[in-house]
Order: sequence, then structure tokens, then C-alpha cells
Amino acid sequence: MKKRILSLCLLILLCFTFATAYAEHTNDSSYIYDFWGSANESLNAFELSKVISGQIEGGTEENVIQSVDDVYYHNGRLYIADAVANKVFVLDDDYKLIREIKIIRDAEGKIVVNDDNKQAILSAPEGVYANDQYIYICDTGNNRIFLLNPETYALEMEVDKPENMVGSTEFVPSKIAVDNAGRMFVVVKSSTEGIIELNTDGSFSRYFGVNSPKVSLVDVFWKSIATDEQKKQMAKTYAPAFVNVQTDSDGFVYAVTTDTASEEMVFRFNAKGENVLRKFGYSEQLGDLPSGPEDTSKSTFADVAVSDYGVYALLDTLRNRVFLYNFDGNLLTVFGGKGDIEGTFNTPTSICWHGNNLIVGDSKLASAFVFTTTDFGALVLDAEEKYFNGDFNAASALNEKIVSMNANYDHAYVSIGKNYLMRDEYKRAMEYFKLGNDKTYYSTAFGGYRNLLIQKYFPIFAIVFLAFVVWVLWTEFAYHKKQKQLEEL
Amino acid sequence: MMKKLLEDFKYLLHVITHPFDGFYEVRFRGKKNVYLGAIILILYGLLAIIKYQYTGFIMNNNPMFRMNSITTFLFGIFPFILFCISNWSVTAIFEGSGKFSDIFTVVTYALFPKLVLDAVIVILSNVVTKEEATILSAISAFGAVYFAFLVFAGLCVAHEYTAATNIVMIIATFVAAIIIIFLAILYITLIQKVVSFAVTFGSEFMKRW
Repeated sequence: MKKRILSLCLLILLCFTFATAYAEHTNDSSYIYDFWGSANESLNAFELSKVISGQIEGGTEENVIQSVDDVYYHNGRLYIADAVANKVFVLDDDYKLIREIKIIRDAEGKIVVNDDNKQAILSAPEGVYANDQYIYICDTGNNRIFLLNPETYALEMEVDKPENMVGSTEFVPSKIAVDNAGRMFVVVKSSTEGIIELNTDGSFSRYFGVNSPKVSLVDVFWKSIATDEQKKQMAKTYAPAFVNVQTDSDGFVYAVTTDTASEEMVFRFNAKGENVLRKFGYSEQLGDLPSGPEDTSKSTFADVAVSDYGVYALLDTLRNRVFLYNFDGNLLTVFGGKGDIEGTFNTPTSICWHGNNLIVGDSKLASAFVFTTTDFGALVLDAEEKYFNGDFNAASALNEKIVSMNANYDHAYVSIGKNYLMRDEYKRAMEYFKLGNDKTYYSTAFGGYRNLLIQKYFPIFAIVFLAFVVWVLWTEFAYHKKQKQLEEL
Repeated sequence: MMKKLLEDFKYLLHVITHPFDGFYEVRFRGKKNVYLGAIILILYGLLAIIKYQYTGFIMNNNPMFRMNSITTFLFGIFPFILFCISNWSVTAIFEGSGKFSDIFTVVTYALFPKLVLDAVIVILSNVVTKEEATILSAISAFGAVYFAFLVFAGLCVAHEYTAATNIVMIIATFVAAIIIIFLAILYITLIQKVVSFAVTFGSEFMKRW
């Protein structure tokens, strides 16, 4: 009897053991959009592993986060901009406090004093960026940018409103990104003129990037028949403003907007300021598609984080989700959501990569959430990295593993198919392209396959063709013969 | 019966190459065969199903998991029947001399080349690449244009209309078709309301009895 009870207990326990071995700390289900635009179930690629909030580890009672407005990671340092506490926190790889920046000091450790005899204290810093040379802090409340030494945190340069700046945009730097050459790209809230590009010495270079608003035909019609007086009273259509900016390792500038009037929401600008975002996925980089699981309103993006291998994460502020896309624009995974439970956000403001971890900042919850990859997510990112770096065989092997875990992951099938195509194994490539619903590549593979078939059965084709030619000639011949006979009669 | 059908089919080949002459014979000289027309229309419906499923992967954008052969069949033949009905209802008022069976034979006979071309396209679509698919689309477009031409010619003959009148009548036909659809939807909605009223009334009645 006892044994029976014991075995029953064990059985019950077994039932409660979670079978989701790929994602240990999360019970959420993820989804992914397929060729038809319908959301299919997918495995979770990211799970919440740590929350940085309140008093930071390794700090004192004074080092309390009150809001997270920007997060940025560079070379072993995680920077968190806090616009409420007017501080920038610097954390190490284990998320322990190294330093907090509030008062700017010079190389001798003296507090910097401005011309009007005020100490240089941060006021509502909304953006932070770092490279090997400087830490860039947008001191939004004081309309200036500080460039600090990343080792000593001493002031190296202060960028105020450039003397040669043109246009009507006020210089209120909110977010900043810097490219390889040291050019600064500064986003100003609700600027209709674009991103401000500054030279390395802090002088104004130009407005960067074009964002065209959607214009409806009806508006165009009314504007065309309106008098000048009427036009003055009409609401003007302004170019939608960018809200955040990021640079990738190739020197391209990524930008996002939350304005739903904008024609496009995600931008990847080349040096000329043209949007060269690659759109080769099943759908455009829109976040949730109109046919999505919930309502049909357009996703708006607050921040973008670009990895070294072209995978970028978009932070959606409408449904508080994070969308991961690869270099080509294929949707990789979706996570997050609106809510008050672990792994969801309230007012997400910023996102950045920390190795293969993603860190999401939330201003209302005053927390930075660290998401680590699940086994599945690690495979996905690894496959993307290998593919991006040209190691196609390794990427293909990883993708094979991915589809064995998640059969809905259509983009992996295409990736495997491309590898077979490169090795001229047309038949297998076709099979995978069909599974992944990629008609363009299927066509290429099919063309190769068909050529092989024609080469193989060339004699048959030749005989049929010759027979046809002979038949045509014969009928002509017979016809003329008949005509001749008729004429002779 | 079978023999007549075969004979008329042979004549159909003449009709599609010599529409004015051919449709005259069909209309006035007893070469009309409604059964042949019905067979072509049913074949066209069946082809719609085949097209949905067996068009080559490169040209096929139909979601296979949403396939429903019956609706595909009905939606395949419905426009032509609707066209016949609305054309008949318009021309009956405006001195068109064609009977319904005349209109029906004209439309279905005219459908024959499109039927053949579409069948060929379904087969060929399995052996083309994306670049060559445009050729097939062009052939398909040609089939549609040729169908329109045959219908136009056939209706001209069947109703004894001039070309100008015929164009006006065909435009009127489309307007009539829209009205027919509107009335049909209205009718169905009303009937649904009546039925649901009866059902509610009945169930209420039974519960309170």
C-alpha cells in the first residue's frame, strides 16, 4: 500500500515537471510570423535572468536607481542613464556598481565650473553612449553633451549648441550615437529636421536622415484646391521625428521613431542619409503585423540595439515587446509584453546588447532587465553569427538543430536551403526552400535542378525536337506535293 | 446524344476561331448545345480547384491549409452564371433578341480557349523558374482578353446588337450584377432574421409551455 501511495506521489510529481527543457526560467510562449503573416507558436529565445533596480549591488544607500532612460554597454561597462536621479551609473560585467557620475570633474579631480560660475552637474541625462575613446552623456536638462574619459571619468570635452548650427531645431540632446570616425549623431526630441550630425570637434555638420510622413490622397486634393488663406489655417504636415539612434560596426546609423504618421518605423542610414534597411524577410520590419494575435495598430519603436553580426532588437512601446531581426530582416523572435509580472515591461525606454544578453531599461519600473538566451536562443544567435561571418556550413548545422527544436521556424529552413544551393545540391535545397516558403531561392534552385535534368536526358529532348522538325518539314513537303498534283490536274 | 455532343464540340473549335460566323450558326442555325456549354463550365470549375492546388510552387500563392474545394468550385463558376443572368435581365428589357440559353452558350463557348490555356499553364507552371513565370502570366492574360473578345462578339450576334449598343449593354450588365449581389445579400440577411425570429419564438414557446 505504501509503495502504491509513493508511486502515485511520484507520478503526480512527474506530471508537474516541466517539459520545456529549452527555456528553464520562463513559461511564456513566443510566436513568429510566417509567409502568410499569421503568428505561429515558437520557442522562447530569451528569458529574464536578472533585474537591476533599487540600490545597486556594490553601492551604498545613495546609489539607488530612480528611472532608467538609457542603457548602453561597451567593453565591460554597462552605463545606465537615470533622468530622475540625475545620474549615470557605471556597472561592470556582473552588474556591480563601479561608479556613479553626477558631478563632472576634470583631470585633476576638481569639479568643473562653467563660465557663469555654476558647477557642472548632470540634469536629467536621457542618453549615454561609449566607445574606446569617450563616454558620451547627453545632459538633456542643460542642453549639452559631456565627453568623459572612460578610465578616469574626467571631462575631456563639453559640447554646447554649436555656433554654426542652422535650422529651427533647439539643441536639446536626448540620445546620442557615435560612428567609427567619431562623428556624433544626436537625436533631439520632436525635431522635424532630422538627426543632428556633429563633427568630432563638436561643430555642426548637417541634419542627417530623411523621414517622410504619410500623406493621404484626400489631403493632397484639398490642399490643391485651397486658397493661400485657407492653407495657412490648415494643419501642417511635419516630418516625423526620430526618437533614438544607434550605430553599427559598419558605420551605418540605425534610427527608430514612435510617430505612427511616419511611413517607415525603422531606418538604417548610409552615409548619404538614405534608408538602406534590408527587407528580405517574410514581412517588413513592422513589429506586430496587422494580422497579429491582438489588435491591428502599428508597433512603435523606442530604441534599437545592433549586435556585431547584424542582429538588431527593436523595442516596441505599444505592446512593450522586443522584436529581434537578423541582417536580412527576418524576424528571429519576440519576447516581453505589457504587464506587471516578471519578464514584462511598463514603460520600456531603451535596449542594448551585452554579449548575447539583452538589457532592457524601464523608466516607470526604474529597472534594467537582463535577458539571457535560452538554449534555443543561443543556437539562433550562434547560427546568425556564423552565417553573417560566412561560415555557412556551421550555420547550416546549427539551423538543422534549430528546426529539430522548433518546426515553425521557417527562416531556418531557408538558411539551410541556401547552404545546399551553394553546394549545388539543388534537390535538397528545393525541399528546404519549399518548407521555408521562399519562392525566389526555390526558383534559383529549381533552375539549376532543371538544367541538370536537361543535361542528363539531353538525347531524349534532342530526339523529340528532331522528330518535331522532321514532322513539320514532312507536312510542308506533303502539302506542296498535294498542291502540285492539284495544279497538274 | 453523345454523337451530337462530339459533333458540336468539333464545331466549337470552328466557333472560337471564327467567332462572328460561328456564333451566327450557333444562334440561328441550330448548332447550339447547352449541354456542351454546361460541361465546359463544370470543367472550368474543376480546373479552378486543380489550379488552386497543383499550380507550381513558384507561381502558387494559395494557402493550402485553407483550401476548400467546394467554395473554390463555386467561386470559379459563379461570376459567369451571374454574368449570364444579369446580361439576360438587362437585354430582355432593351430589345436583345437572345434567349438565356443563347447567352449561356456564348459565355461558356467563349470560355473554352481560356479553359485550355489555363490547363496548359497549370502544367507548365511546374517546370518554370520565376523569370519565366511572367511568360505564363502573359499567356493567361491573353486567354482572358480572348475570352472577353469572344463574349463580345458572341453577344453582338446573339442579341443582334451593333458594337456600340453592345458595349453599353455590357456596362449595364455589370451594374445589374452589382444590384443582383446587393439584393441577394439583402435577401439572405432578411431571411436569416426571419429564421432566427422563428427559432427564438419556438424555443421560448416550448420553454414556457
